[in-house]
Amino acid sequence: MIQPFTSDPLQWVAEDGRPIRELPARFTPGVLRDLYREMVRAREFDKKLVTLLRQGRTTFYAQASGMEATQVGLARSIRAGHDWVWPYYRDHALALALGVPMLDLVSQCLGTNSDLCRGRQMPHHFGAARQNLVSISSSIASQVPPAAGNAMAQKYLGVDEITVCTFGDGATSEGDWHAGMNMAGAAQAPCLFVCENNQWAISTNLRAQTASENIHIKAKAYGMPGYYVDGNDIVAVIEVLSQVAEQVRAGNGPALVECLTYRIGSHSNADADAEKNYRTREEVNAWLARDPIVRVERLLDHLGAPVSAEERADLISAAHREVDEAVLKAEASGQPDWRIMFEDVYADLPVHLREQAAFLRAEQEGVQA
Amino acid sequence: MTATQSKPAASGSAGETRTLTLIQAITEAMQEELARDERVVVFGEDVGARGGVFLATAGLQEQFGQKRVFDTPLSEASIVGAAVGMAVRGLRPIAEIQFADYMGPGFDQIISQAAKIRYRSGGQFSAPLVIRTPSGGGVKGGHHHSQSPESYFTHTPGLKVVMPSTPYDAKGLLKAAVRGGDPVIYFEPKRLYRAVKGQVPTHDYTVELGKGAVRREGTDLTIIGYGGVMPDAEKAAQALAAEGVQAEVIDLRSLVPWDRDLVLTSVAKTGRAVLVSEAPRTSNFMGEVAYVIQEHLFDQLLAPVMQVAGFDTPYPYVQDKVYLPGANRIAAACVRALNY
Ligand SMILES: Cc1ncc(C[n+]2csc(CCOP(=O)(O)OP(=O)(O)O)c2C)c(N)n1
Repeated sequence: MIQPFTSDPLQWVAEDGRPIRELPARFTPGVLRDLYREMVRAREFDKKLVTLLRQGRTTFYAQASGMEATQVGLARSIRAGHDWVWPYYRDHALALALGVPMLDLVSQCLGTNSDLCRGRQMPHHFGAARQNLVSISSSIASQVPPAAGNAMAQKYLGVDEITVCTFGDGATSEGDWHAGMNMAGAAQAPCLFVCENNQWAISTNLRAQTASENIHIKAKAYGMPGYYVDGNDIVAVIEVLSQVAEQVRAGNGPALVECLTYRIGSHSNADADAEKNYRTREEVNAWLARDPIVRVERLLDHLGAPVSAEERADLISAAHREVDEAVLKAEASGQPDWRIMFEDVYADLPVHLREQAAFLRAEQEGVQA
Repeated sequence: MTATQSKPAASGSAGETRTLTLIQAITEAMQEELARDERVVVFGEDVGARGGVFLATAGLQEQFGQKRVFDTPLSEASIVGAAVGMAVRGLRPIAEIQFADYMGPGFDQIISQAAKIRYRSGGQFSAPLVIRTPSGGGVKGGHHHSQSPESYFTHTPGLKVVMPSTPYDAKGLLKAAVRGGDPVIYFEPKRLYRAVKGQVPTHDYTVELGKGAVRREGTDLTIIGYGGVMPDAEKAAQALAAEGVQAEVIDLRSLVPWDRDLVLTSVAKTGRAVLVSEAPRTSNFMGEVAYVIQEHLFDQLLAPVMQVAGFDTPYPYVQDKVYLPGANRIAAACVRALNY
């Protein structure tokens, strides 16, 4: 059994790739390779999307490079497409690993007709009902109370599902975060809260964010266990999250898991020059040396199943092809026109919106209203 | 520190001006108020080292130190609530909410505390503070980075609500807000931050809250707007002028209080009013302006008061530009009023 409220992050694999505890039997080289592939895919998605951003084909993007072990590990710790997820805007590695098709993610970023969200949300704010992945809201921590409610419904309905709610470290300062944690605790709802602690909220460091020693100890106040994990060690992430998820599923109430990780890139395109403004090159370099993907490579090396340079290059080019194809397909579907504004505002189309739609139709198409 | 210890703000002599962008004018206003009065503090998410996501506070922490210009935890309720407490205890807080869309988490503190403390205490306590926040669309932000929530606040007694559209007003209104006795919600039309430039005096000045400005004189109809729509309102007036129609253009600048006299005098003269705002139409503040016009000038109106507003839909990402009432839509409403 893993322990809550540890003072150091739980770890299975050291930075040099050596297991520091016995490697659980299920982490065969084949399984690790699969995790590795998924992480590389997410990393390359990041790079490609930054390129699309520079080309002006999308207007917002929040990188998750450096956080792949946390997100892919989380996806592999729950029942994809069965459990429900209330993610936040940096979670594309989670979405990809949960099985959201590349085309769906890319379409949302480009706001094309193939976008499931119909071009209404800003880029990188996807949602996919087929994967029980609820549409992302920009408003920080606003997903936390609804996630608690989602879990309360699951308990009420007696279904064998849990709810996962993710957020950054900054989100834990919002009132909504505390309200949602408290509600889930009081209701003993099957909610797994996952803090992707990448240590910065735009330019605000965790130390300026909270006087609390770390995030996971806050769980104590809400009557749930809090776990602390090395979020760059995918073995640790999966070991802890899958065990905690099963406890939550078993009806033991909610839990909070803090994954300590780092965002290597900028917060978003709005602060492309993070190193100049608020953090040091040395700090970034120190975390680059803890790269979660490199750690799996080293582990595979250690296990005698190394990733060859050729295999790595193939994976990278396959990921690029996958994104390129998705972009072509998405762009070929065209841009949604003015009509999408008025649909889905309500379940029906009230008369005032019908009038406004007629007005805009006349204006846009030169048709008489 | 008492008010009498505060220093004069700027040193320039009367008459001198130079060109600033809207956001530069806002930065300068804060800089001068920080220099003038030690009770002024500036804070919010990322306003310190980063200088704010739009760089409105760039350089201020460097100049005034972390005690006076500082980052807060990511919590609008804390930011607004703390501003109220500081103001009650004698400081002059200027708090930044990173986007107007995120007033939500701080809403209760604004409407329950900031707006009401003077009244509920019989005037014993008050919360003179400024909440600055970028608002409005046109920056491809989707609904959580484009909204115009001013009407939630104009509906709440106890709050003053302003929105500049020129660098001159941005600076003068912000300074007046800092020096006033009330909580002020100061909306910054973010698409004008760098798109609009104008002459700003080097000497200290303020722009009184509650006074509108005539941007263009005319006799045939009055276009009334505020904030981000103003450049388009003026463009529409220019287009009409080419057709021989003289439109008067009024910038409200303040919504609470608003300049009824200026509006009524103008509409009495022209007989027609076109109200422009990018906020959704239903319960839009301009509904109040329309009501007051008809109440006072019913007999003199040559056409119904026309309203050009945002649609009653969440702000859409892809159709970002179509949503906004541009110059053509404003001009078309003017033509409807003229042809009525
Ligand atoms: C309620 C609210 N306030 C402010 C913002 C602006 N904002 C966007 S991301 C961000 C930082 C979030 O940091 P964190 O929760 O740690 O997540 P990270 O981006 O680091 O993954 C802020 C302040 C917002 N989106 N919502």
